[in-house]
Amino acid sequence: MQFLKTNRGRVLAWLVTLLIGGLLVWGTQHDAALYRDPIMRVTQVTTGPSSKETDDFHNTDVQTKQTLHGQILNGQYRGRHLTITNTYSRSGAMDQRYRVGSQLFVVVHDHQDDHLTASAKDLKRDTPLVFMIWLVVGLLLLIMQFSGFMAFLSVAANGVLFLIAILLNGSTQGAQVLWIFGSLAVVFAALTLWLVLGANRQMLITLATTLGGTAVAIVVGLIVFHFTHERGMYYESMQYVTQLPRPLFLAETLLGSLGAVMDESTDIISSLFALKRERPELSAAQVFKSGRQIGSTIMGPLINVLFFIFVADTFPMAMLYLKNGNSWGYTFSMNMSMGVVQSLISGIGIVLAVPLASFLASRFMEKKVRA
Amino acid sequence: MSTITVLGLVLLVLMVLVGGKAGAQSFLALLLNFGLLFLAIVLVAFQFPPLIVTLVVGLLVLALTIFMSSGDDLSSTVAFIASAVVLVVLVLLIVPVEHWALVQGFGPEDSEDLEGLSVLVGVKFVQVTTATAILSTLGAIAEAAMAIAAGLSEILEQHPQVPLRSLLGDGIAVGKQIIGTTFNTLFFGFFGGFLALFIWFTGVHYSVGEILNDKIFVSEILMILFAMVSVILTVPITTWVMTRAVAGQRKRAAKRISADK
Repeated sequence: MQFLKTNRGRVLAWLVTLLIGGLLVWGTQHDAALYRDPIMRVTQVTTGPSSKETDDFHNTDVQTKQTLHGQILNGQYRGRHLTITNTYSRSGAMDQRYRVGSQLFVVVHDHQDDHLTASAKDLKRDTPLVFMIWLVVGLLLLIMQFSGFMAFLSVAANGVLFLIAILLNGSTQGAQVLWIFGSLAVVFAALTLWLVLGANRQMLITLATTLGGTAVAIVVGLIVFHFTHERGMYYESMQYVTQLPRPLFLAETLLGSLGAVMDESTDIISSLFALKRERPELSAAQVFKSGRQIGSTIMGPLINVLFFIFVADTFPMAMLYLKNGNSWGYTFSMNMSMGVVQSLISGIGIVLAVPLASFLASRFMEKKVRA
Repeated sequence: MSTITVLGLVLLVLMVLVGGKAGAQSFLALLLNFGLLFLAIVLVAFQFPPLIVTLVVGLLVLALTIFMSSGDDLSSTVAFIASAVVLVVLVLLIVPVEHWALVQGFGPEDSEDLEGLSVLVGVKFVQVTTATAILSTLGAIAEAAMAIAAGLSEILEQHPQVPLRSLLGDGIAVGKQIIGTTFNTLFFGFFGGFLALFIWFTGVHYSVGEILNDKIFVSEILMILFAMVSVILTVPITTWVMTRAVAGQRKRAAKRISADK
């Protein structure tokens, strides 16, 4: 570790990281053998005629045909040359233009006289994905070192737990989604806080605040749902739903707000612990007051973080609705209403965590915080 | 009254009760941000270039979020400049990666939602998806920049003469404190939103290879990774802007002293 603090060590760390990145990118471009579906690399492209299309809403677009020549990289047809046609539009919402060097998954049709034809399925995308993961992990370790590693570890651990929960949900046909993710929220929070803070009183207070804030927010949300009869909420507008939408929506909201509430309670409570360390003479009421002050400056930006995550995602679909002649109101209801409800419930949790954190910290902090 | 109105009112009341005037201001910023986001969508639908709309709206959102939360002048200004720099760097990263991964628009999983909609609308979806990725990270950039700037300005308040070199180290130290929890905010925020999609993947028995190359999956994971990169970059960039600002202040102060003599 000491070596990494010297200039030579630092340069070496950057070089090693760059080298690993290069290897990963090169590796994923040559990993076709790992896939069962046939992959073709495009060696030559001929662009065919374009045609102008106009839909019922006077949107104009240009569709172009291209002929791709290429070679299969894996499986039983490895080395065989193929020619396939592909149509792409200028907007490219559901299609894409392939270029020389692109690798794509194809569906091969084997005819009896050993003659192969194929159609394009989708682009191979693992290289950019691996590149970005490398970039994040590399920057994290180089800039934040040990703390970066812990942050990465907690995200990875939560990712594994998340996967287990999803498999568990699948094996119960989604009937228990709220229970599964509700109890997982507790495990998620406990594990993350333990990794960030270690097992101590501060961690317990933060955990209690996180769980309390999130739970109360969901309950407030349910009460409001009950009295407003969920007017203006369109469960049918949720995407990719394969099970009962209402519990799924609540589970999504629960998970979404958990991280932000945890973030906020950690900030408030660790500042209060630090404050008490510096000025042990402060009374519980004074600690509570400072907690409220710290909390009220960070709650707004935090609600914003979740708001942009929940609502910005609906941009492409909302734009498509507008382009298809729908009104602003209908576009909002069908695309953004659920995200807005989610942001508001999370926001309520984030705000409620401020007094909760301040109260619990002022009440249960040891009289003399050890340094 | 609709559920959204009542939930909004509950949030407003709570924010005012907890934060007083600052709470009301943050709520107003939230409303204005929603207006800006919707405006961006409408402008793109009217054929304005998506990237330019996103940059302008992005800067407005950052300014609103940062200047409408209470904070001292120095840290707000530093946070805004730093987050604007991060936004530009992020655009330089997102544009090529989105063109490389080609995750624009919609995937086969969306076909049910797309029924009856024309997708040949003449807007370049690569740009729309790029805009989406940029917009979804705005909140995280603003939050991280404000946290770092506030932490540094507190250090400056306690030790006004701290040397610039050690201020750089202090910035990274503040960053180390927030990075773990900020990553979790992003992780849970995004995964909360994609829960349905992941359940879909396991329900329909996608193979690992299919998931790792799926258009929607890759596009969503890229969004999380962009947000994480932006938060990591915010730490050194905000620290650097802060040292520039402090260096400028000290130079002016030194000049004033020598002028007084």
